[in-house]
Amino acid sequence: MQEEYGSIFFHRLKWAYLLLVVLALMSPVFYVMYISFNEYGFGAGRYDFTLDWYKTIFADKLLLGALGWTLVLASVTTVIVVPLGLLAAKFYKQTQYKVATVSLLLAPLFVPSDILGSALLVYFKNLNRTMESLSDWLGNEWFYGWFDLGFMTAIIGLIIYTLPYVFVVILITMARYRDQQTEAARACGATAWRAFWDVEFPQIRPGVLASCAFAVILTFNEYTRTSLLKGGFNTFTTVLISQLLNEGMSEQSYAMSSLMSFVAIAVIGFIIIYTFVRSERLEREARAKAQPLMAE
Amino acid sequence: MPSKDAPEGTSANRGELIGSASPTRLLIIRILGENGLQKWVFYLPVAFMVVFFAVPLALTYVWSVFERTRFWMEPGFTLFSYINFFTSARLENFLFSMYHSAIAVVVAFVVGFPIAVFVRRRITEVAQHRVILLFILPFMVSEIIRIFALRPILGRNGLINTVLLKAGVIDEPITAMLFTPTGVIIGEVLAFLPFIVFAGFLAMEAVPKYIFEICEDLGAGFWRTFIDVILPLAAPGIFAGSVFIFVNGLGVALLPNILGGPGAVNAGLIATQAIAALDFPLAMAVSAIMMTTLLILLYIGHKLFDITRILSPIS
Repeated sequence: MQEEYGSIFFHRLKWAYLLLVVLALMSPVFYVMYISFNEYGFGAGRYDFTLDWYKTIFADKLLLGALGWTLVLASVTTVIVVPLGLLAAKFYKQTQYKVATVSLLLAPLFVPSDILGSALLVYFKNLNRTMESLSDWLGNEWFYGWFDLGFMTAIIGLIIYTLPYVFVVILITMARYRDQQTEAARACGATAWRAFWDVEFPQIRPGVLASCAFAVILTFNEYTRTSLLKGGFNTFTTVLISQLLNEGMSEQSYAMSSLMSFVAIAVIGFIIIYTFVRSERLEREARAKAQPLMAE
Repeated sequence: MPSKDAPEGTSANRGELIGSASPTRLLIIRILGENGLQKWVFYLPVAFMVVFFAVPLALTYVWSVFERTRFWMEPGFTLFSYINFFTSARLENFLFSMYHSAIAVVVAFVVGFPIAVFVRRRITEVAQHRVILLFILPFMVSEIIRIFALRPILGRNGLINTVLLKAGVIDEPITAMLFTPTGVIIGEVLAFLPFIVFAGFLAMEAVPKYIFEICEDLGAGFWRTFIDVILPLAAPGIFAGSVFIFVNGLGVALLPNILGGPGAVNAGLIATQAIAALDFPLAMAVSAIMMTTLLILLYIGHKLFDITRILSPIS
């Protein structure tokens, strides 16, 4: 092992390996993007740059509708799941049953999508039946169709899917926050809400922002749970997958895939740049504050 | 907020506020206040998870023994679904997908874990997280697309074959890479590799940098250090990452559906096919079998090396 301090070569080699793995993970995506701009599609001997395949997406009413549904699903899920994640992280910090809480909140990561989707599907159907018979027994129709497959059931499935990620991201950011600050705020007469909103929240804002991005992208990308639980409407991924499974890769599906990848990369790129700029700024401020003291 | 850190009566403002309040207002404060409803709000995520995650999964065991009717199922007790599963080709397929999944776990570990060790060991603390962020990028591009995109890469006219043919390395396109178990394994590794890097990175938190120096000072070689020191310390995290990949390899239906050949299935595909065929008890039996597999794995892992240790960085 000692040789590595001496040899910069091995260090570079390991870096090269790391970057190679990232590249290998990304290369299918890049290749799909490359194909999507080719007028002749996949496997053609020639390459002419074109945006025509993207134009066909935006000319397709069905696809535009699906895109709209996807965006609505993503935003509603995010609006619900991020506050839930905040509450969960808060709850985790104060509870005595830490292991039980965290196991429950992280368990969905370990349950494959098709299994959870099927279980939820049957669960909702059963809930519906139970509530209908309850309604019949009461002699009214109050509880009819609460859990019919549709927008709400899809949202529930997506919340279960995204909550672990949101929870972890927020918890990691919260770990750097010191609770004494809240205590100080409370001792100065702030209500719990004010202490949270004015003192704690500004410090965990990057984590909250990142978790929003996570929730949006994960929902945008999700296929299995959405398709099992969605009921009548279509989302971008369900249209894409049914196209792919029924007709194979068409030029348009290459364009759709790379469009989704572009969105994901743009959002994540924004988050990464934001985090970097912010940490640079904080470092600079910290240095600026420290300087006069050091001069003394 | 937890109410324990709020010393009552320390605040003059609050005293005045409550002192001047009307009885109704006092009542509202009592109901909504920090010891009233406000406290219960924090139970909301956990309650949600119990109602829509734990209960449905637990009930799969009950539903799996229900009797199948034409379009639905009715309460009863029959082991028909299990017999159906264990005495048909499904069992063989399930075991095969387990085998392929296990290979994928090993490959992902060999490829991914050294990266986590390298990042923890050789890169400064500030830069570590930025390097790990590199792996967020592929992870955030939908796994569906990454799996699908393997078709034009691995296929007969795909990128790899084209390049190799042009370079003169091979004379005929390799057809063993797509629509075969190999294809499924490649897909699984590429789809879930970031997870082993993240899990390994978290796991290596348990291995402080000075440990490497001690090992070097004591003259332990690379393999010795790796097997006797790093692995035992990082075991819980590695195990969590491996279980994650293993279970997803069994459960993500798209993997065999897209990359596997004719007849390639895993548990997830069996379940969704059963749902499509309106055989709900069978789907639930498959779910129950998957859950049991997962629980057994987690139990073994917990017995071997206390998984709760992974949580130490966040608690």
